[in-house]
Amino acid sequence: MTTAIPEILAPAGSLDKLKVAILYGAHAVYVGGQKFGLRTAAENFTLDELREGVAFAHERNAKVYVVLNSFLHDKDLEELPDFVSFLDEIKVDAVIVSDLGVVKTVRQLSNIHIHISTQASTLNVEAAKLWKKMGATRIVLGREVSVKEAGKIKREADVEIEMFIHGSMCMAYSGHCVISNFTQGRDSNRGGCAHSCRFEYSLDMGLDTEEKKKAFFMSSKDLEGLRVLPEFINEGIDSLKIEGRMKSHLYAGTMSKIYSEALEYYSQHGNFLSENLLEWEAELKKVSHRAYTEASLVDKAGADSIFNEREVSNDSEWQMVGAVVEASPKTGIILEVRNAFNQGDELEFIPFRGKAIKVQANEIMDIAMRSVQRTRPSTLARLPYVEGIGPYHLIRQKGRK
Amino acid sequence: MKYLTFAQNLHDLNLIKDQGMTEVILGHRDFSRFGKLDDENYLALATRAHELGIKVTFEWDILMTENVFASTSKKINEFLETMDSLRVQDPGAFEWSLKHTDKPLQFIAENGNHNLLGLKGWIDYAGPRMERIVLSIELSKNVIAEYIKELLVPCEILGFGRILLFYTPRNLLSPLTSEKVALNQELVALGESEESPHKGFPIVENTHGTFMFHIKEFCLLEYRDDLIKMGLDTFRIDLRWEGLSYLSDLNNLKENYPKDLMRGFYLVNKTDVLFPKLKNSRLQKREGDYVGEILEAEKGQHLAIMVKNPKGLKKSNRLKIIHPKGEVFEVQIHWLKNTALEEVESVEMHKLALIPFINGVWVKSHVFYLDNEIDK
Ligand code: SF4
Repeated sequence: MTTAIPEILAPAGSLDKLKVAILYGAHAVYVGGQKFGLRTAAENFTLDELREGVAFAHERNAKVYVVLNSFLHDKDLEELPDFVSFLDEIKVDAVIVSDLGVVKTVRQLSNIHIHISTQASTLNVEAAKLWKKMGATRIVLGREVSVKEAGKIKREADVEIEMFIHGSMCMAYSGHCVISNFTQGRDSNRGGCAHSCRFEYSLDMGLDTEEKKKAFFMSSKDLEGLRVLPEFINEGIDSLKIEGRMKSHLYAGTMSKIYSEALEYYSQHGNFLSENLLEWEAELKKVSHRAYTEASLVDKAGADSIFNEREVSNDSEWQMVGAVVEASPKTGIILEVRNAFNQGDELEFIPFRGKAIKVQANEIMDIAMRSVQRTRPSTLARLPYVEGIGPYHLIRQKGRK
Repeated sequence: MKYLTFAQNLHDLNLIKDQGMTEVILGHRDFSRFGKLDDENYLALATRAHELGIKVTFEWDILMTENVFASTSKKINEFLETMDSLRVQDPGAFEWSLKHTDKPLQFIAENGNHNLLGLKGWIDYAGPRMERIVLSIELSKNVIAEYIKELLVPCEILGFGRILLFYTPRNLLSPLTSEKVALNQELVALGESEESPHKGFPIVENTHGTFMFHIKEFCLLEYRDDLIKMGLDTFRIDLRWEGLSYLSDLNNLKENYPKDLMRGFYLVNKTDVLFPKLKNSRLQKREGDYVGEILEAEKGQHLAIMVKNPKGLKKSNRLKIIHPKGEVFEVQIHWLKNTALEEVESVEMHKLALIPFINGVWVKSHVFYLDNEIDK
């Protein structure tokens, strides 16, 4: 007998990332249009790309949720109806909303399901009941809520519940930080967050005996909830969300793959073996991340959830060397190179399911079929064909930082 | 226009009475973010306020996850008789208060809530129980005027006091001190970062979490006449940090106050004008006539385009290529090859196409069909 499992909801910052996430096992993705979301600097989707993304997802039984989670001002709201009608027409599965004005607009114009964004910081049964009455079909709970509390909210408010399982975390209650608004003139609740919480601060704590403390005291470690999966399942949580629309293809693919494989294993076996957990955790560590914490998933986040370190662009031993763009026995595997690699290097092709395939790059050619010793980023390279590898497969390599 | 403030002790209540104010906010430490009153002190102040003819508003602005919410919310019942109004921020507290009390409600809509439709939604939801709505300090004066006119309940704004920038339930200061922190002890610090020109952010950690404030405090005192004309109901003055004694001379408060002051976004809120600069708008335009993206530019040899349009790419197409920095190139393709390096007439969607190299075109350039060429 199989156990019912939550949906894995992956971030898709672009059409390519949507395809990568779904092919690697995500049951649903969340995406942003050109406006109304919280990732202003992200590539985001054009209308054509949204249409194509929804069709791609639906052909594979996956869902697409569109973020409309800015705290919209009146003039922003005036532009929303056309976009909502378009989303209704292309049959997106839900919109993710944090503002009551947006909830009302979507309800007036469509039957699209409404998910209340974590940005609304819904933390308790009563708040969930209120949003349900306002028309929400799902609540994305604040990251401060434990899985046990979430189970109670689901049972008592009788509404779908989504929780974050992985990714970067806002240190503030979501929607309750306006540092960027007042210090940089950028509305963090309309996508302009300048990540001031990641800065190093000197703190004068008024203690005669101590000098000013220097600390990244407002920076949070990244969330990682792999070991909490059984609790999510037991509490009947409907959807597990991975943060990171701005993150790489490797991130979107790896997270979708590991969490969906772990859930599938649990649904078939009703438990996890520790060797599986160790293997999956090792895979998660192959993607750049801050130190991991379970934050408040089990107990209230403590001092060990603070990431008191300077940010680095990649702290993983592993890096993505490229993504496959075409593959056939005739042309070989053509990849878009993101990070250089050399002839003779050991590469890992990450299949959509199952273990990585190790390949020695003994023969590398450029697109004109000339042999090359070392590839360059932002070029195309050709490798010999590997059975089962096709477009959107990702390739990584160990040993370079 | 009414003035409203907080009282933290009996002396504060006398000052409030002296100023002719008719309402006070009391912060119980289990419900109010910066409330310091325990049960006994709260009850003493509420009783005294009523004796002085001052209406008591009970503040519940702490955000609470379910377990804390369930245990704390019941405790409100002990104070219901002593309060005239209940002031809430969390939608959960709003919902609970509507169902479990019959008190008039003041809804703190200071966080987001920057559109009329949403604000009207909260007011409609509470119906006649909505006594007042507290608007965001990010609203500019024109918007405040419009909201006061359109909303059918009295409106309040912060007129003077600290600007809360950040609220987390996590304890961020105590991990930095080796000293033992007692229950209900408040830690304070001033923070500055080399990555920000602003120096001296006040930071407070208490049992409810950690709060960071702006280095300057908010002041709309000089705009009181405007606000009165707009019909503002309540002008809140928050002196919990520097002491209520400043209340006695409101006209000179600005001059006497020891902190720098600002008016925030009162004149204009342009916190979205920088957004277009955060992204390359040329990279955003990929509708309709979009062919695809250049994935390789091999000098003197070829450009490789990933074709993303269902119409594919034909040898006969004329193309417009836009460099990431905006330079535009118009080209007629002379040859077209697939990845087997065969010359072909067309390349279909999701395949790579090679065309002759064009000087100046880089990777990440975007390719479009030239006008009127789409259906060729
Ligand atoms: S600065 Fe940090 S805490 Fe504030 S909104 Fe941005 S990510 Fe969140």
